[in-house]
Amino acid sequence: MKYLASIIAVCCLVAGCAPPRPIPVNQTLTASEEEQMLWRRAQEEQDTINGSGALYQYPENEDSLNPIAEKLHKNSISPDISFQIKVVKDPNLNAFAFPNGAIYIHTGILARMDNEAQLAALLAHEMAHCTHRHSFRALRSINDRTQAKNATVRELAQLLGITGSIASISGYTHELETEADRVGLDLAVKANYDPKEVLNLFELLKQEIKIEGIEEPYFFGTHPNVQQRIENVNNLLAEKYRGKITGIKNTDVFQSKISRLVLDNARLDLRQGRFHIAQRMVKKYLTTKPEDAQAYYLLGEIFRQRGQQNDAGAAQKNYEKAISLNPSFPEPHKAMGLIHYKDGEKRLAKKYFESCLLLSPDTADKAYIQGYLKLCVTNGEG
Amino acid sequence: MKKIIALLISLFLITGCASVAQERSLKNLPDNAFSVEIPEGWWKPKHIDKYLLTKDGVFLQYVLIQQRPIDRPYRNTKKKLNKGMLPQEAAGVIIDEIASDRRIHNFNVIENAPAIIDGREAFKILFTYKDKKGSTFKTLYYGFISGDSFYNLRYNAAIRHYFEKDITTFEQILSSFKVVKDKAALNVALDR
Repeated sequence: MKYLASIIAVCCLVAGCAPPRPIPVNQTLTASEEEQMLWRRAQEEQDTINGSGALYQYPENEDSLNPIAEKLHKNSISPDISFQIKVVKDPNLNAFAFPNGAIYIHTGILARMDNEAQLAALLAHEMAHCTHRHSFRALRSINDRTQAKNATVRELAQLLGITGSIASISGYTHELETEADRVGLDLAVKANYDPKEVLNLFELLKQEIKIEGIEEPYFFGTHPNVQQRIENVNNLLAEKYRGKITGIKNTDVFQSKISRLVLDNARLDLRQGRFHIAQRMVKKYLTTKPEDAQAYYLLGEIFRQRGQQNDAGAAQKNYEKAISLNPSFPEPHKAMGLIHYKDGEKRLAKKYFESCLLLSPDTADKAYIQGYLKLCVTNGEG
Repeated sequence: MKKIIALLISLFLITGCASVAQERSLKNLPDNAFSVEIPEGWWKPKHIDKYLLTKDGVFLQYVLIQQRPIDRPYRNTKKKLNKGMLPQEAAGVIIDEIASDRRIHNFNVIENAPAIIDGREAFKILFTYKDKKGSTFKTLYYGFISGDSFYNLRYNAAIRHYFEKDITTFEQILSSFKVVKDKAALNVALDR
């Protein structure tokens, strides 16, 4: 009960109407026992995430992400922090940082990006949360505001996995997010990335929120809102970075590197029933890999599972394309079998189910297919 | 003095047992359009508003039986079940719902196969997962669509020791499951 009450109290404090005021940047923050405890807690939380099966294991991605962080880090104020970038299998638009330099980016937000400069903008923003000790400052300000004892911070972190929850769930305060935007932009510019891509990233995601009717992604935090942040960055570009209008984008290399991730993320979107986004992402993938049977199969699945008018025909067309590109790929055969089976075309269904089992005798759906085949025969259409 | 202490302890134990007995009852099982035979020793936790039964506590094992409207949205996937779905397709929706649940870690489907429940075409999914604390659980999930409802029966237990211990009991519950269209018949079945 004591813990429950504490959790409720923490939630009220973190999500309270009046956001806590951050500690001024210039105030000395020694690596106290509290902060060391926060780091230890952060490590425990990361261990949970890392062992949860949620990480996207694709070495090519981490190999391409960490050098970007290193490039940005050269100009940061905390050279002691060691940044590690990891990717989480999650189609929602999110990224978050732990105070010890571990940054987690969702496949969803990566898949939407156009180029390396946009990724650098996001990384620089998250890195600023670490270098400027935002987790600790947010907790300290909660502590100060409530005039609680030092033990409160310790308790908060123990209870909620607070380091991650502030970063990924509730977002930081207006001041801290604004600071991260400002510092992040500066890091991106100093690493010679095109600063306009920061705005393009915001715009891209803002459009996505509008078109798809999705909730505002956590990356944006709760304060300030997206439009306000776009205006802030616009002002900085006009005042501080006047004349700095070009820089690295690396569009083609970036798209080539993340293409597999784009397709895998489309599968996650499909799993969540976000058919329209999944379809857009597969089409994006096909611009870099136009002859990929798996992509056409996935398009077929999107149409078949959505089940709107004319979707069955569209699904069939994509399955046929997948089979034509890779005749030994069993999945589209199975899907074609299902479509014909449901349409009562048992002869055609049987043909496709048999070819699926021939190509993949131990397919995961073997028991279902064997059942369908029996019914195809007993119905006298075998 | 010793006698008084002994008396107090006895009273404490008696009242304690009485309250446990009250907790471990089948009272307040929600009304549903199905009937099942509940084995001896299984009970419904007082504060759970579902048709949920356990023998040793919900964190060790439980059987959950649900009848839900077919068009009721799920929490994690926007996909919906529909009347025309094959059991395999319905199983796909359920797998996607569970796999999209952030509270479920290391989700792994061991088996996905057709089944028969109460004479109806159904599916069964056997899977394992970890919760946020790292405990591993195993679940056997049966489901089928009938009319406007999706019925599901699942047995969830800690993978170590408990899953194997009560799987036979779950199979008995499963084989006794009947869809009861008549509400009066349902009440009789629940009263037994």
